[in-house]
Amino acid sequence: MSAMMPPDTGPAGAVAVDEPAASTPPSAMKSLRRFLAKPSGALSISMLLVFLVTGLLGPLLVDRPGGLGSEILRSPSVAHWFGTDDLGQDVFAQVVWGTRVSLTVAVAASAIAIVIGTALGLLGAYSRRADAWVTTVTDLMLSLPLLPLMIMVTALVGPSVTTLTFVIGLFSWPEVTRLIRSNGLVVVSMPYIDGARALGATGWRIVTREVLPAVVPLIVVSVLLTAARAVISEAGLSFLGLGDPDSWSWGRIILNAQRSGVISTAWWQTLFPSLAILLLVLSATVAGVRFNDSRDPRLKDR
Amino acid sequence: MAEFIARRAMRAILTIWIAVTVTFFLLRLLPGDPTLLVVEGDMTPEMQQALREQYGLDKPMLTQYWLYLTELARGNLGTSFRQLQPVTDIIVSRLPWTALLAGSAFVLTIVLGIPLGVYAAAHRGKRVDRVVQMFGITGHALFVPSIGILLLVVAGSWLGWFPIGGAIDPDTRGADAYVSLLHHLALPLLSLVVVQLGPYALTLRTNMLEVLGEDYIKSARGRGLSPQRTLWRHALRNAFLPALTLMGLQLGTLVGGAVLTETVFAYPGVGRLIYEAVGQLDYPLLQGAFIMLAITVVVANLITDVISMLLNPRIRA
Repeated sequence: MSAMMPPDTGPAGAVAVDEPAASTPPSAMKSLRRFLAKPSGALSISMLLVFLVTGLLGPLLVDRPGGLGSEILRSPSVAHWFGTDDLGQDVFAQVVWGTRVSLTVAVAASAIAIVIGTALGLLGAYSRRADAWVTTVTDLMLSLPLLPLMIMVTALVGPSVTTLTFVIGLFSWPEVTRLIRSNGLVVVSMPYIDGARALGATGWRIVTREVLPAVVPLIVVSVLLTAARAVISEAGLSFLGLGDPDSWSWGRIILNAQRSGVISTAWWQTLFPSLAILLLVLSATVAGVRFNDSRDPRLKDR
Repeated sequence: MAEFIARRAMRAILTIWIAVTVTFFLLRLLPGDPTLLVVEGDMTPEMQQALREQYGLDKPMLTQYWLYLTELARGNLGTSFRQLQPVTDIIVSRLPWTALLAGSAFVLTIVLGIPLGVYAAAHRGKRVDRVVQMFGITGHALFVPSIGILLLVVAGSWLGWFPIGGAIDPDTRGADAYVSLLHHLALPLLSLVVVQLGPYALTLRTNMLEVLGEDYIKSARGRGLSPQRTLWRHALRNAFLPALTLMGLQLGTLVGGAVLTETVFAYPGVGRLIYEAVGQLDYPLLQGAFIMLAITVVVANLITDVISMLLNPRIRA
């Protein structure tokens, strides 16, 4: 019944990524230059760097928010750039400290999802027997409501940065598998793979030496898109009260505003963490899409 | 046709079984006492003993698994730690609200998304197209609670156009009750649709561009049909079914979004229930909520597939 739909059209939740260009990869410098050639590339990378520096150095420069302050629910001012919350804590400091947690979870969870997703995707692409299983499990995972599943597991294990990282990582690989598998299939059907097989190369060798390098650009794209989704998942779980109680996170700042019933008055307490989420996820997504486009010779003049 | 439905229904049952099985073993292999999943200190000793026996907590894990499946098949999802009532009853009383919210979002996203995607594809490279593309990329970066709070603060608190919480005014009767229902639904629904719509329209645009490149479209144009007529009569007809299927694949995400919106708007569905259960560490309720939502999503997906099949002349015959 989906005869008219291309078989690998991802769900609308996945950013559409074109088939990889099957030409020889351009050199690193050249790709970087092409990547930065459009403002979207340069802008998204700069924004990611700003977040990275904030996450690394921010907590060294800004005091850790905590305790009770005397200035309660102040709107943004020179002393408190992002205002203060109902405990008199500085929202700017909370956002800065939250950056570190968001980035840590995003990078680590994305790494977990990429390793599992790539391994399963390559397995499905190469081995026809394993493919039925890989596809079934992937489709199954993608069809389930994953947020309630993550909530249940996190609540049981006990919320911490480590728990969040593993839970998000272990439930985020299906999108990666789908992407790597569908493009791995294209690579596997190419004549040079038959050539390698004719020369007596083992399956392991073909997958790791021939197929894997061909999908590396897609893995880079996946890292960015998976990390972007991980930021949203982390914020969602923290917003539902499943964040690490000992560290700040953007979702937790918004939850605090909701719990203390000040979302209608203290707009700064929800606006700034929301903007942080939006900008970080948007720049990671745009960077991923831009990277993909910059490698595609068909899009050279765009 | 009957065979198709039977095959799809089998797959739906298989999906639910796997989801339940994974849940069972995942939760029991994790660090922590598995009895914590079923029995809790607030319960009376008799109640605890009854549950221990019902779920065979002193028996081997496979026996427990079998007992768990048997109870589940009878519609028993355990007893809530805090409300001390059957989990199934609690969730069933909340599920209609989530179904209303997510179902409306499903329909509205399709109704708005298809024209948007088709229009963007037909005006490729024009300003409309670029706006849809931008909206599509931005949609991935929108955090549901942020959008919810924005709408709640601006349209609810500041402008006072919409109520800021709940699902219905209990004092209303008859037609007024329906108005109140829609009035309360508007903002939670809108926050879900805003997040879903962009990426959905963008994917449809891509699919539509492929359809527009096909021979029968070119031949329709060649026969002298106007571009408008070709687009809306021929191309759209072939884009609709994949669009429906595509939205069906989004149901899981949609339900996840509903959990977050309901929390923002204190909307009395399963999502809000989950939020409350997290605060109270009510594990049977969390587990039951996931299973019930998973079943709902799988069944809704099955219905979507059957509808597309009934609408598809190639299979219907």
